[in-house]
Amino acid sequence: MARNANKSLQAKLVLLGDMGAGKTSLVLRFVKGQFSEYQESTIGAAFFTQVLSLNEATVKFDIWDTAGQERYHSLAPMYYRGAAAAIVVYDITSMDSFVRAKKWVREVQRQANSSLTMLLVANKADLEDERKVSNEEGEEYAKENGLSFLETSAKTAQNVNELFYEIGKRLAKAKSSHETGMRLHSRAGQDRGGLFCCA
Amino acid sequence: MYGTKSKIDLAFEYQSQVAVLRPSIHSRRANLTVKFQDLYGFTVEGNVDDVNVLNEVREKVRQQGRVWWALEASKGANWYLHTTIGQGSALTSSLKFSALANAITLKKLIRKGIPPVLRPKIWFSLSGAAKKKSTVPDSYYDDLTKAVEGKVTPATRQIDHDLPRTFPGHPWLDTPDGHATLRRVLVAYSFRDSDVGYCQGLNYVAALLLLVMKTEEDAFWMLAVLLENVLVNDCYTNNLSGCHVEQRVFKDLLAKKCPRIASHLEALEFDVSLVTTEWFLCLFSKSLPSETTLRVWDVIFYEGAKVIFNVALAIFKMKEDELILTHHVGEVINILQMTTHHLFDPDDLLTVAFDKIGSMTTNTISKQRKKQEPEVMKELDQRIRRLNSLRMEDK
Repeated sequence: MARNANKSLQAKLVLLGDMGAGKTSLVLRFVKGQFSEYQESTIGAAFFTQVLSLNEATVKFDIWDTAGQERYHSLAPMYYRGAAAAIVVYDITSMDSFVRAKKWVREVQRQANSSLTMLLVANKADLEDERKVSNEEGEEYAKENGLSFLETSAKTAQNVNELFYEIGKRLAKAKSSHETGMRLHSRAGQDRGGLFCCA
Repeated sequence: MYGTKSKIDLAFEYQSQVAVLRPSIHSRRANLTVKFQDLYGFTVEGNVDDVNVLNEVREKVRQQGRVWWALEASKGANWYLHTTIGQGSALTSSLKFSALANAITLKKLIRKGIPPVLRPKIWFSLSGAAKKKSTVPDSYYDDLTKAVEGKVTPATRQIDHDLPRTFPGHPWLDTPDGHATLRRVLVAYSFRDSDVGYCQGLNYVAALLLLVMKTEEDAFWMLAVLLENVLVNDCYTNNLSGCHVEQRVFKDLLAKKCPRIASHLEALEFDVSLVTTEWFLCLFSKSLPSETTLRVWDVIFYEGAKVIFNVALAIFKMKEDELILTHHVGEVINILQMTTHHLFDPDDLLTVAFDKIGSMTTNTISKQRKKQEPEVMKELDQRIRRLNSLRMEDK
């Protein structure tokens, strides 16, 4: 039980948010360390993997990066089903995208599995001059809903690694609290594939 | 030094140089990756073997071109337009017979590929686009684009957002001229059918149509016939219900045609629509190399949307042995992505799609769709109600 260093967990992570908020760019910054100004629009969803080594554990992420256009909404349950974590992204230069993000937060709170870790992310922080959503506004909403909040920039890499580390740490912590016997992770069908130990 | 050459010549030149590398054991051992432009200007990354495959494909395309020209010489220009069977009760039996013979020849021929130079002409007539266009005044497209110029709608905003994100880096599509042309086609269509408006995915489809058809008006009509006559209804509207139906039909077909794969993936809790949704919405344009995509489209425009199922099933079928050994969702996706990205020889795919998958008639597919529709509608409806009730609570 105390062999923390060798612990390894696999976690499904989903990104949700309005089209052009920068979901794919955040993932590509994290997974490949790359950024391109014009990222191909995602259709359906794209899949990435990345391994994060923390002191607590090694976290293997299966990342589902979803399409942002409103009509693709009907596909979303397929992607967040069984997810251990969700990142809801908006673009600080678009109030519409913030409104959309709030809808996502509501939906995920309601529909996804209850142990899911959710973060609210305000992306494109490098575009300060065009900002439409204040930092306080985002932070306050996150607080009200018990979410972690980060302002990021996929372009400058600001807070991008921090974001994924934060998720990794939380998942590792949640995992170890399960392991110390407080409550065994329930294996109900729909939670399978979410968070499981493969050490 | 290439100043006077067109892009396509340049691509040829580069590839023939690379092909010389083949005998070198060193280069093969090093598994060299080279970047080059394909026939339609897309940057392709591949190893030396891929380059060789592309050269072979180019040779096959040339041979196929000769077959088409020979037929034109013997049967007369536009012979392929006289293949409608069944409607012409006034035809004499000998004419009917020749029409039937032509139809059989044509079907085989199209599955072997339409030469790129003939594509615009043949697609336009065989898909029904020409007929569609002929039912409206000649000035329809010009009038439409002029009438909607400068109008701002949610659709136009989304189109503007996606223009630079549609095959970025393409030597023509990613230029001001390319963006403006693609914009006119997509905006015009969004006004022609406001139920569809603009759906992400159509940007890739329209872009590829532009590259093939060369003129934007023809590309517009191809897009219209595709959405209005070729594909299942409501693929791109509102909640993509048509696409949901197709995904369910596909799952059933996979279970029937590739039972080992289907049951293995089910055990992994891998929902195939995680990958196939994009194939259906972009008609493979984001996953397959361009010439392979267009070979698939050759057949779609002649035989109909059922072809998408054949091709999607074939991609799974080709990798059956690997897929059933996977332990994890990520492996499945990697196999499928690697496979699609490297399918440089269209015949590798189409042979499996038509010879190994077995025939499926449009009729059987339609029946399957009918069967799935009520369930999809029910599910989407329930979902909307749940979301609405969330919204009510917020207030």
